[in-house]
Amino acid sequence: MNALTRIMTGAIIARTRRAPADARLRERGARIGGVLGGILRRTSQTGFVLYALALGAALGLASADFATSGGYPVGGTTIGAWTAWAKTGAVDADPYSRAVNARRGEIPLALGEGLLLTAARDDSGRRLDASCTYSVGGAVPPARAWTLTIGGRGAVDPAAKPVREAFTSTEILREADDRFVITIGQEVQSGNWLPMPRPSGPVRLALRLYDTPVAASVGSLDRNTVPAITRLGCKR
Amino acid sequence: MSTRSRFILATLCALVLAGIVHIVTVRAIPYFAEEDAFSLARKSESLDHPLRIHSLAVAGTPAPAQGWLPVPDPAVAVGVCAYDLDDGPMRVSARVSSLNLSIAVHGRKGAFYAVTDQAAVRGSLDLVIMTRAQLDEALASADENEVNRDVRIVAPEREGFAVVRVIAGLPSQNAMANEAVDAVSCSIDAPDEPTDANGKPDG
Repeated sequence: MNALTRIMTGAIIARTRRAPADARLRERGARIGGVLGGILRRTSQTGFVLYALALGAALGLASADFATSGGYPVGGTTIGAWTAWAKTGAVDADPYSRAVNARRGEIPLALGEGLLLTAARDDSGRRLDASCTYSVGGAVPPARAWTLTIGGRGAVDPAAKPVREAFTSTEILREADDRFVITIGQEVQSGNWLPMPRPSGPVRLALRLYDTPVAASVGSLDRNTVPAITRLGCKR
Repeated sequence: MSTRSRFILATLCALVLAGIVHIVTVRAIPYFAEEDAFSLARKSESLDHPLRIHSLAVAGTPAPAQGWLPVPDPAVAVGVCAYDLDDGPMRVSARVSSLNLSIAVHGRKGAFYAVTDQAAVRGSLDLVIMTRAQLDEALASADENEVNRDVRIVAPEREGFAVVRVIAGLPSQNAMANEAVDAVSCSIDAPDEPTDANGKPDG
């Protein structure tokens, strides 16, 4: 009853008096508040049940979509700048990984087949950016073959395909001590040069180890056994 | 109960409900997905060799866009063979070449078996995917004097698919890697004859 009176008074005031703009706004606010309060006060049990159902369904569906629309939200092991995804293809994978695989049509590497490691940040924790130059090098965990791939988020434009988007362990140029350095940047470099796939924006690296014994014991890897990612500089 | 506490109670109920909806949705996605690898691999069921879903670019010819893999490894050719064990045990045979080859067997829940060409005996790798009943049958009818070199795998489910991956270490090996995927044979072992009777792959 109280709210109804307030609404009516608000309406009468608004109609009769030419108030300054801010006062009119305040009146409108009071009117909306009054209407809401009235609705809240007069809502029955059914209204609350409907509200709870609608909010629950909306929040649940939205959060499920959010958690499974990008990369794997959980299940990775962090090793330095890299994250190893050992269990995403296994039968006992977590439900989020399975949902992500199903939505993307991904066929993940099985445990006995290989291991996927990804990196979206460099060794000092800064996001990998296409306008910077990076050196990736050092050691790679034991594997029969490995590939290092660079990519950005989203689909690749087939017209603007970069000259190279990956290095394999066979084609890499090594130094005398069997180590290697890959330089990633916009400008052409000597040695192992991996061009940036896009002019700007975040990029990510993927290291795939094939036929590797470490897939079963990811916990034994430490920062010295994975390639170091160092930022050399940024242009701008 | 005052309006405010009823409102708070309703919101709390909504949050609990949201949690339940979230868990149920995430768990249900693999079963309702139509664009997942399990459903898309069904297309290869009638073939006797893997359906190539990621081919490597060969100089002169543009890379065919036929795959569905979101971020494929540009140095690895991938093929899939779907199976339905109701038709009989599935035999996947590969000849070892200079390229690294691996075969993984996936069910709806994920990969339950993987093997690389290092496990090959005398240059060939023979995998037979079967149900528990088919394995018992094969064991019962096996000839004791005959050596069987098949790798027998009991599948947890009736349907699934095998994935063949061949790595091309150098771009000049791309064509070879594509051919190596096609050269793998995926055939159904006839259910009425013993599995070791047709030990030689026909591909």
